Amino acid sequence: MARPPRWVGALVPLLLVAVWEIAARRGDAPEYLPAPSVILAELGALVASGDLFVHAAASLYRALGAFAIGAVTGAAVGLAAGTLRAVERFYEPIISLTYPVPKIAALPIVFAWFGLGDVSKIVIITISVFYPIYIAAFFGAKGTSRVHVWAARNMGAGRWQIFRRIVLPSALPQLFNGLRVGLALSFIVMVVAELVASQRGLGYLIAFSEEQTRFDIMYAAILTIGVLGFAADRVLLAVRRRALKGQLLATAEAR
Amino acid sequence: MRALGRTLLANYSLLVALVAYELISRSGLVSPRLIPSLVVIGEQLWRYMLNGDLPYHAGISLYRAFSGFLLAAVVGIALGAAMARSRWVEALFEPIFTFGYPIPKISLYPIFIFVFGLGTGSKVALVFLECLYPIAIHAMAGMRATDRVLVWAAENMGASRTQLFFRVMVPAALPTLFTGLRIALPVSLIVTLLTEIIGESKGLGYFITFASASFEYGRAMAAFVVVAVIGFALDRFVVALRRRVVFWLKDVPAIG
Repeated sequence: MARPPRWVGALVPLLLVAVWEIAARRGDAPEYLPAPSVILAELGALVASGDLFVHAAASLYRALGAFAIGAVTGAAVGLAAGTLRAVERFYEPIISLTYPVPKIAALPIVFAWFGLGDVSKIVIITISVFYPIYIAAFFGAKGTSRVHVWAARNMGAGRWQIFRRIVLPSALPQLFNGLRVGLALSFIVMVVAELVASQRGLGYLIAFSEEQTRFDIMYAAILTIGVLGFAADRVLLAVRRRALKGQLLATAEAR
Repeated sequence: MRALGRTLLANYSLLVALVAYELISRSGLVSPRLIPSLVVIGEQLWRYMLNGDLPYHAGISLYRAFSGFLLAAVVGIALGAAMARSRWVEALFEPIFTFGYPIPKISLYPIFIFVFGLGTGSKVALVFLECLYPIAIHAMAGMRATDRVLVWAAENMGASRTQLFFRVMVPAALPTLFTGLRIALPVSLIVTLLTEIIGESKGLGYFITFASASFEYGRAMAAFVVVAVIGFALDRFVVALRRRVVFWLKDVPAIG
């Protein structure tokens, strides 16, 4: 059987949008479903007035700033715990106990501790992002082939060299999986924190326009979040492809 | 006695963390109202467990999380299997999953409120959507990765298509499928709590929000302890289940 052409994948979404547009124009769609063309026009207006950039910048600052903090600490602690027994013995009980706990439920408490500003949002996003990245770094480092470490030691490599040349490269593929999960999480938690309490940001724009029953603005904000989340993921994948150039050679991904 | 000592020693960092928290709470540096002592949290936990408030709200949250999760499991596995079996289904739906994966679906929640109402409906719908992605993707990946030799062997021995599916593809996909379910289960709980924090008058997320809004942080933390125990118990349950169902594989972390 022949492989269906790639454009087939666009059929379902296009069909949905077409039905939506026609229904909205005929007035059959409920009020909360304005026509896609109306939403796009509103998106254009928001871009032209610059409002969208203000909110998007506030959201990105929180999400990406917290992601950076969580990624660096998560990777550092995870790699350290994966290589040094003492670090593992300290962190592993705490993290394996708290990992399956939905930390986001502490959001109201974090708001109480750190106020309603940027700090509390960055704190809760950082905590959420830290875990998957720590776990990925930890198991990535733990999974280092012993034979490689022995070989390096035999050839006179120091501890730092072994870490830099053996442990780190073999942990990288796993680490990138964790980073990808964490990046997606940072956007989710950002939206939630902004929906609950904020003065700026795309989540705020959604909550605000919903109150004003300006559904076109609401969808424009949702669309922007989707595009930004998708773009951030693509950037991370591009970085991953560069960083893992050699290791991806044998897999289907290298093309 | 010695076993107990060894457990304590292995988990000494937990004790350090708890003692540090208690010291901060009692030091007077921060208002004890904001960081209540463990004793206070324990008292609140005891009180609201006994008067039935916490079990009631926990039951509601769990009901929502499980309904969304089960729906997503049924639909996700079916869809994943269909995508793995038919090139046309794959071409039609696979882009929706790969392109939609990094998009935070929680931003759709305000729309869900309009469509399904503020109560349980909108929450179950969002849980369903968030859980559908990991489950469907892993189900597809698992079935796709079935060893060709196994398929050939089964075909050679005269297996029908149904037999091939249930006796070869499904068992081969189980480990990956379980990874998807293990990712989705905590997600279902997280999404439920999130939606309850955003707006609701029932459920644990609401209980925590309401307690902190009334400056009763001890009560909020007591509820968080219940959330933590539920999350931890669920994870243990999935790990135990996985060990029974896919007993031929060693434990692997959920990520990767």
